[in-house]
Amino acid sequence: MHNIVPAGENALLIYFGDKIDATLPKKIGNFANQLKNTLSDVIIDVIPSYTSLHVSYDLNKISFQAFYNKVEVLLDQQDSSNSIVDIQTTHIPVYYGTEVGLDLERLLAEKNLDLKSFIEIHTLQEYLIYAIGFSPAFSYLGEVDERIQAPRLATPRIKIPAGSVGIAESQTAIYPADSSGGWNIVGRTLLDLSLNNPDNIDKFHVGDKVNFYSITRDEYLKNGGLL
Amino acid sequence: MSFKVIKSSFLSTVQDYGRLNHGEHGMSQSGVMDEHAYCWANHLLNNYFNDAVIEITFGGLVLEAQTDTFIVVTGANLGFKINNEAAQMWHGLQIYKGDVLSWGSHKSGVRAYLAVKGGFDTSILFDSRSVNLREHIGAKLAEGDTLFCKGFDEATYRFIPPKYIPNYNKDIVLRILPTYQFNEFSINQRDLFFNQDYTITNANDRTGCRLSGAPITIKKERMISEGISYGCVEIATDGLPIILLKDAPTIGGYPKIGTVFSLDLAKLAQRQPNTKLRFELIDMYQAQKQRKKFNQFFEISF
Repeated sequence: MHNIVPAGENALLIYFGDKIDATLPKKIGNFANQLKNTLSDVIIDVIPSYTSLHVSYDLNKISFQAFYNKVEVLLDQQDSSNSIVDIQTTHIPVYYGTEVGLDLERLLAEKNLDLKSFIEIHTLQEYLIYAIGFSPAFSYLGEVDERIQAPRLATPRIKIPAGSVGIAESQTAIYPADSSGGWNIVGRTLLDLSLNNPDNIDKFHVGDKVNFYSITRDEYLKNGGLL
Repeated sequence: MSFKVIKSSFLSTVQDYGRLNHGEHGMSQSGVMDEHAYCWANHLLNNYFNDAVIEITFGGLVLEAQTDTFIVVTGANLGFKINNEAAQMWHGLQIYKGDVLSWGSHKSGVRAYLAVKGGFDTSILFDSRSVNLREHIGAKLAEGDTLFCKGFDEATYRFIPPKYIPNYNKDIVLRILPTYQFNEFSINQRDLFFNQDYTITNANDRTGCRLSGAPITIKKERMISEGISYGCVEIATDGLPIILLKDAPTIGGYPKIGTVFSLDLAKLAQRQPNTKLRFELIDMYQAQKQRKKFNQFFEISF
């Protein structure tokens, strides 16, 4: 069942569910693509997120009611077809060290884990991309194993270096660029995911997956990693 | 053909109509804060609607023309001068190589727009020339920068009927569409929202505008993050509204009581802290009709 509400004079929001569900992101991502292909002359932008899809359209060409009707028809069609689309998995090398994992030492103590076990738990999962937002290419990944979940910091840091990998509750993420933020930082990747490389905006898609693997301090430094 | 930045200011950036199609990559809409002043500036020069301009916030900027060209300055009255003499706003002006353009003293409004014939020709990043400092896309104008512009081959003198030159000192009413979680606010809470004077606070920038007033409540204080529209009104945990603007993040998790009609956001962009503000409802039909008329007049098309 879907619920469509207006979001502005040229935008609406389609809800695909009312709670976070691992089956929704791919479904929402697929529908976003379908919408862009089918209604390309009137769609301006789409923003998929967790349970919803925000769509803006060209009000010069189509009214709210007419657009709403078209979206409803497409939603009905989608329900009846069971399209299977490939899920891409991106592998991200991370150095889990206390020099770059600003909250690692505290988390290990709080969770009563040694570093090896912590890394095992964080790298074991294939994380689903639930949403992209907050800043360009910032992907919200879930779900983090309960053993290493931690609430956001009470006071966010002013500057978290680009590439930092963080945990907030059941989510984990990579900061693509230097940013303020309140996530628990556990490591850093060497990959440049910032807009310095314009292709990075297409690296992650809602519904795709991300997996982390551990690299040693030596590998990190040898490849240009900063401490 | 260019302008040189002689003295930089608190915040002057290149903006165009915006970066409209990268929400799914987490990029803000960006673009000019006052679409009314911006569209008139380009229109008076017979420019393309999306041509890039300089958005000058609170003045302090000095530029030197390196070429003969035509310009228009609209928006806030920031004491615009050419060669140290007061110059006309909302009107096409011929300028010459060596002329010094300055915005020195704040008189009314917040943001002035400098448009040049053919538009500023800075680099296009992700389909737009709009600078977004929060996203590290582009930078604000700095002393010594060279701002290239396109050439011109025709003088254009279009006029603006004086009734379209706004008075930025008046309190404002923002028309708002009932969107998002509007129906989840109780009737009493909605009454409180529509029947009070809010005040614009100092927390007021390109990302959003925080208001002070009597708090309203909603049962669900946080929700699953969802896509943000330009102008939507979040009710933060403290019960006070934040109007999300051009540089706002693409998704957010506070309940939203509605979305301000875009043409009223142009008025908001020129209001200073402590200005009083009220909300009133507008329906979808009226909002679309008025915006469509605006788009047709300024030849805004996608």
